[in-house]
Amino acid sequence: MTRILFSDKLDNCVAKWRSAGLTVIGPVQGESLSSYATVEKGTDLHLGLVLPDRSLKELFFPQTEPMLSYTIKKNEIETADFTPPSAPRIIFGARPCDASGLAIDDPLFGWDYKDEYWFQRRNESVIVTIACTKADDFCLCTSLKLAPDSTKGSDVLLRSLDKNRGWLVEELTDRGREAFAIISEYLQEGSEPALPTVEVPEKFNLDTCVTWLQNPENFDSKFWKEISMRCIGCASCTYLCPTCHCFDIQDEGDTYSGIRRKNWDSCSFALFTMHTSGHNPRSTQSARWRQRIMHKFNYFPGKFSVNSCSGCGRCSRQCPVDMGITETLQEISKL
Amino acid sequence: MITQEKYRTTVKELLANGTIKMAIGYRPGSTSDRRRPLFIRTSEEADQLVLDSTCITNLSGYLVTEGLLSDEKQVGIFLRPEGIRSINILAAEYQLNVDQIIIFGFDSTGREVRALQGQTTGDFSALLSEIRENPPLTTKEPLLERIEKMNAKERFDFWQQEFSRCIKCYACRQACPMCYCRRCIVDSNQPQWVNTSSHTLGNFEWNVVRAFHLSGRCVQCGNCDRACPVNIPLRLINQRMANEVVDGFDHFAGLSPTQEPVLASFKKDDTETFIL
Ligand code: SF4
Ligand code: SF4
Ligand code: SF4
Ligand code: SF4
Repeated sequence: MTRILFSDKLDNCVAKWRSAGLTVIGPVQGESLSSYATVEKGTDLHLGLVLPDRSLKELFFPQTEPMLSYTIKKNEIETADFTPPSAPRIIFGARPCDASGLAIDDPLFGWDYKDEYWFQRRNESVIVTIACTKADDFCLCTSLKLAPDSTKGSDVLLRSLDKNRGWLVEELTDRGREAFAIISEYLQEGSEPALPTVEVPEKFNLDTCVTWLQNPENFDSKFWKEISMRCIGCASCTYLCPTCHCFDIQDEGDTYSGIRRKNWDSCSFALFTMHTSGHNPRSTQSARWRQRIMHKFNYFPGKFSVNSCSGCGRCSRQCPVDMGITETLQEISKL
Repeated sequence: MITQEKYRTTVKELLANGTIKMAIGYRPGSTSDRRRPLFIRTSEEADQLVLDSTCITNLSGYLVTEGLLSDEKQVGIFLRPEGIRSINILAAEYQLNVDQIIIFGFDSTGREVRALQGQTTGDFSALLSEIRENPPLTTKEPLLERIEKMNAKERFDFWQQEFSRCIKCYACRQACPMCYCRRCIVDSNQPQWVNTSSHTLGNFEWNVVRAFHLSGRCVQCGNCDRACPVNIPLRLINQRMANEVVDGFDHFAGLSPTQEPVLASFKKDDTETFIL
């Protein structure tokens, strides 16, 4: 028997989760920007957004994060580690592309070294995803072989009932089941047809693109320069992307004491690959754009058997010069 | 439509007779209200040109792309009045030679787009002086007026709140035609003048440093504002600084290619004992 969570019970659920020690996070529309943020009541959630401007990744991999502090003394160096404080939480109303983004990055953060910052937060977060019933011109999950109701990365999938009345509950993992056991008194047994998920047209044939990218001859194709001539290297595509994961380690402080931080970095910056000598192996913006595409659809899947893109469309939605993954792959599929 | 057609023809002619090697304009974007920068080198590419009221990006930054003007050939570019001012500033700061630039000027009121008469920056000096005397209404933003009415503490809190969203992507810098430094101060780490992290201090340092660097140079094109992925109203800061510079130094940036940069010129008889 499926269970239903009715919208009018959401406030009770949020209160219940909070009293069980979980921080409740979900999509919130701020004055000028939407993001996943902590809420106190169910009614604070803005579940009607197509998807928040900012992605879910920053709750797991923040833009800047202290790793350790150091003090250099006469005969020794004192260090103290910063690990995120234990903070169990539930993310209610994630979009499938954002949840997939987390699952896509898991193997990366756990590959040669287990990134404890990422995994502590992963292990302490329950992801409750709502299948999409609306999309905009930029959504492209289906082109990435995902869907508006992908379960990848989610602990629970909710399917909306009509008239915003509530959701059908599909528990997918033990973590999800535990979180929903907390609020079981507010769930009702029953089954009703859920609203159909939105039709997201496929914008390109991914396999054709991947084959082209894998052909070493195309690495030096004139295509790269043409497609990226207008790219201004602003990095906002990478910073808003739920799967872009590059970071830089920086020491901040003076000679004798300071804090070592992990900060977002981006392959769009010229500085990203600049050598101390001044030589830059990716000296042009087109080489940097090629890297972003190659990394997502050739190198990353080569290593982890999954594309580093979940089709959220943020890169195209946000680009100040109207570029993005979609246009590039569409053009590649026509070559 | 007529303006667009006329300009398509002009661009084709100038390309065909070898006057220009390229024209930088706009073409349709991924949705009906979006436009993309277009680099026109052939007659076919000229056919993609669109010119309407949604062409708002200031394209002048592309002119300082490494190597573009080094062959001394001419390049055409579609510019609104702010863009023409940017070209003047870039010339005054020795970043380009105005003789290499052919301007396809345009402006719009509502959805109506019209061509501006002229081809070289000098042709627009009367227009720019007119803009100086009667700034367009956009310079009287309600938010700016609200901020002006705040006391220092409220204003600080307002910007702290806004900057707290900054993710240090530097899109504002990359989108700004005046941010052409090969190595930005935030990219220098010997010494590290500005914290690279995007915490409160780092975000403040970055945005304040940029505001100072843009003082007397910003033309209010809004590129930074539109590029900022977290919607910080950046243009307001630079606009306020521009107003200060007009009040304090009687300097309206970008009037001519020989206008002396206000914060980068030095006089022995300066009455001030301190220079920034
Ligand atoms: S590459 Fe673009 S569409 Fe793909 S996940 Fe990143 S931001 Fe979304
Ligand atoms: S593709 Fe667009 S968003 Fe990405 S770096 Fe280039 S200009 Fe910026
Ligand atoms: S600071 Fe912003 S508004 Fe001013 S010139 Fe630069 S991009 Fe344009
Ligand atoms: S564009 Fe916005 S978020 Fe990016 S660095 Fe500038 S102010 Fe910060």
